[in-house]
Amino acid sequence: MDRHKILRIVILLIFIILLSRAAYLQVIEGDYYYELSEGNRISVRPINAPRGRIYDRRGEIIVSNRLTYNLYLMQNEIPPETTTEEILTELSNLSNLSESRLLSNYHTAEVDTAVDPILLARHLSKEDMVIIAENRDLLPGLVVKESSLRDYIYPDQLVHTTGYIGEINEEELISFNEEGYNYRGGDFVGKSGLEKEYEFYLNGKRGAEQVEVNSRGEKIKTIGIKNPEAGNDLILNIDFSMQSAVEKLLQENYQELRNLAAEDEDRSVPTGISAVVMDIDSGAIISSTSLPDYNLNLFARGISNSDYQELINDPLRPMIDRNTMTAVPPGSIFKLVTGAAAMEELGVRANTSFYDSNGTFYIPNWSRPFRNWNPVGEGELDFVKAIARSNNIVFYELGYELYKDYNGEKLAGYARKFGLGSRTGIDLPSEKEGLVPDDSWKRSQLNQGWYPGDSVNLSIGQGSLLTTPVQIVSLISAVAAEGVAYKPQIVKEIKNSEGEIVKSFEPEINIDLRDEIGARVFEALKQGMYDVVNKSYGTASRHFNDFPLAAAGKTGTAQTGGANHAWFGGFAPYDNPQIAVVVFIENGGSSAYSVPIAREIMEYYFGFKNRKNYHDKVYYYNRESYQENN
Amino acid sequence: MNWNKKFLRYLNFNVPLAVILLIIIGFISISSAVEINQVDSGALRFLQKQAVSVVLGLLVVFILQAFDYKIFKEYAAVIYAVMLIMLTATIFFGRGVSGGAHWISIGAFNLQTSELSKIMLILVLAAVIDNNSDDMGYLKGMFLPSIIAFIPFVLVILQNDLGTALVLFFIYLVMLFAGGGNFKYMAAVFGGGFLLIVSVITAHVTLETPLPFLKEYQLNRLIVFINPNIDPHGSGYNIIQSIIALGSGRTFGKGLFAGTQNQLNFLPEKHTDFIFSVIGEEFGFVGSALVILLFLYLLWQFLNIAENARDRYGYLIVIGVMAMFLFHVLENIGMTMGIMPITGIPLPFISYGGTFMLTSLTAVAIVINVNLRKNKLMF
Repeated sequence: MDRHKILRIVILLIFIILLSRAAYLQVIEGDYYYELSEGNRISVRPINAPRGRIYDRRGEIIVSNRLTYNLYLMQNEIPPETTTEEILTELSNLSNLSESRLLSNYHTAEVDTAVDPILLARHLSKEDMVIIAENRDLLPGLVVKESSLRDYIYPDQLVHTTGYIGEINEEELISFNEEGYNYRGGDFVGKSGLEKEYEFYLNGKRGAEQVEVNSRGEKIKTIGIKNPEAGNDLILNIDFSMQSAVEKLLQENYQELRNLAAEDEDRSVPTGISAVVMDIDSGAIISSTSLPDYNLNLFARGISNSDYQELINDPLRPMIDRNTMTAVPPGSIFKLVTGAAAMEELGVRANTSFYDSNGTFYIPNWSRPFRNWNPVGEGELDFVKAIARSNNIVFYELGYELYKDYNGEKLAGYARKFGLGSRTGIDLPSEKEGLVPDDSWKRSQLNQGWYPGDSVNLSIGQGSLLTTPVQIVSLISAVAAEGVAYKPQIVKEIKNSEGEIVKSFEPEINIDLRDEIGARVFEALKQGMYDVVNKSYGTASRHFNDFPLAAAGKTGTAQTGGANHAWFGGFAPYDNPQIAVVVFIENGGSSAYSVPIAREIMEYYFGFKNRKNYHDKVYYYNRESYQENN
Repeated sequence: MNWNKKFLRYLNFNVPLAVILLIIIGFISISSAVEINQVDSGALRFLQKQAVSVVLGLLVVFILQAFDYKIFKEYAAVIYAVMLIMLTATIFFGRGVSGGAHWISIGAFNLQTSELSKIMLILVLAAVIDNNSDDMGYLKGMFLPSIIAFIPFVLVILQNDLGTALVLFFIYLVMLFAGGGNFKYMAAVFGGGFLLIVSVITAHVTLETPLPFLKEYQLNRLIVFINPNIDPHGSGYNIIQSIIALGSGRTFGKGLFAGTQNQLNFLPEKHTDFIFSVIGEEFGFVGSALVILLFLYLLWQFLNIAENARDRYGYLIVIGVMAMFLFHVLENIGMTMGIMPITGIPLPFISYGGTFMLTSLTAVAIVINVNLRKNKLMF
């Protein structure tokens, strides 16, 4: 057959099909669809999914949800004879809801079709809910739906780590939905901390109820329900009984130090304090505290602008997590790095002898004196004792020798090996990477070359070196475990609402120096840290008097030009290291204030002091294993 | 200057008549879809823009008659090169509208390049098939046209414009058939390909095997018409609402501006993709049958013009244009009736949209050009 004729037949067939379908829908089934369009219609109402909850390592709930009720407008349920504005005016007359708020929420809502619900009001009062239910016939198209509201069991604890939530912004809405998620304007999303880091796990999947409504906007029956999926729960490595104890301890010390400073002009005023406790064998963060903080409840319902302004303009910066977002010089804690470099590169040994004649060090041919914290010469001391005494003169000399032999690059390289100058990768957003200064940095930033004085300064952790407390806890952990440190990790596992594990975080090695730095180096450094705490001449021994367990640590007092930052980094037990602890006091004046706090944290951890204050049950965490080992 | 008169002797007046009627129906339905009867609807803006495209399109219709369509064949290579450059440029510099990057801006004028590519492909394919007409019964003759069609097809797919890609494919298929392509090969390749696609999708839906090329939401849009309840809140909802709108128009319709589905915003994209639902709701079966028959009438005239074309090139061009409109009509109207997948391609002459109106009128202009020059001895 002629192809042209075939085309004609195919086209005729296609049009006959279209025509028949139109006749079927409009003539034969017309009355049915007419009924549907004029009388009953189908509407899809949202069912909100609760956000995932947060538990501590023992399954104690830290962040939960409570029920709240939101008011939605379903435009397509509004009968043709009324307008949305009329209904909203009626609603504001009947209830306590403000007309201007309702109208502005209605007019600013961005919806694609009339099918999409518009959020008119959140957290309805009981009274308003009763009013809406009783006047349903006057208020077609208005639907009250359950929603969840963050419920903080301890709104003032673990604040920075948990993080706050807030209404999704335009930018987030676009980028999240481009990634394939289904967010809507008005949704709450994590803005900081774990809430932000694990947003896509915590956020649930919205469900929907397909209903048939009549011409008055009344629901006749439910046609179908798609159940919402609750968000996944986070199980943390945090031990909440530890957390509470440390929170209280830091709070008391912070207040006391500020009070003392208020009375005594010579004392520096601390502007913040933080502590982090990490499990050396896994990187699990057992507690993380940063003060000053804020109250998470401020954010649960959406923070008011004035409250938010107050928080971000507070000079004490309560929104900053000092453990991950504050990078300052670490002071003498850095001597551990200088020591490792000196032993590896300069042939220094644990018993290598040094001499401090008058507490002052001069770089050959330079006139500027570098002084020890102790103005009197300390005479002859070996390398280990130099750590225990935190003797600057010895480390100035080592720093200068490293400069002479390797032109300043060597020490910076060791600092980087210990993880300084880069993020630890802790599972929190906005972690700072700090800074390890070197020649190229100095040239690009200050337009100057690297001088021997820079190396000498760096050797005792001063100058442009910047570290965060979580980097220091990682450094301490690497020394304690003789070259290995795990990535700090707050979340242990993620479970779905049925309790099945969705994701489990295995310990991940972050720093591995076993091939680069010899065991004798770590032995000497650890011996020095032991002496810091346990020998009468150790810089922290005064505050560890009668401590029932062999601990080790290193003090740090970092000069900033203003008040000094106080540091202490330690681990325990000495022969079988389990935890690394770092205490940091911003503008704290002297490490003398950070050491006793670290001691108390260890006492809480090993059960020498109970943490009953917040919990009925007292845990002696790992005490059995500790006793077996000793 | 009496060439107009000589030309007009041959003009098939049914073509402009049907087109003008369809455009008028389009203006009326768009007015209703954008709610011109309501205060502050902003509807006039839509109508003004649509009117500008119609005027521009009619200008093209007149100007194009001054050239003999054989120049398209002479410049086929150039047209093809321009098309490829245009489509490639859109991928890199295009601006997206709901998940696709189909627009490029020339000054204040936004051009949907994939629309123009339809006509360009017709002109080029006709030339290639015409040149290979002796070999069309063999694989070697079918090879070049297939390559020529395949490249722009892929470029349009990369723009995420599945609808237009399908139009291009349909044009290619019909032109290959009309151009004498070997039917056995075509049936084997395209029938086999169709079966393959159907089985891959069936396997994905029932056995959850991975899905190549398509994203999940694209597949859902494609297959939701089979069962709107797959996705009753998304595309399925649109189909349900569209069918309710059409059906509720019954035999004589609810009357202009009286369609509740339309006026209450139940219908999605009602001034563009779902304009036929508005017509069906407000003018009933009488209205939808009129539109369907007008399209049949128009395409029938195209087939007559093709048959009487001066040469094979003219024949193939008109068949290509016919195929383009046929697919648009079948796909768009079929979609609103729930018998075709949702791909978001507009209804010619009726849907709101400047570039496609311009494309459609240019296509008509080319058909008229062939029509006017049907006598080989014309001076």
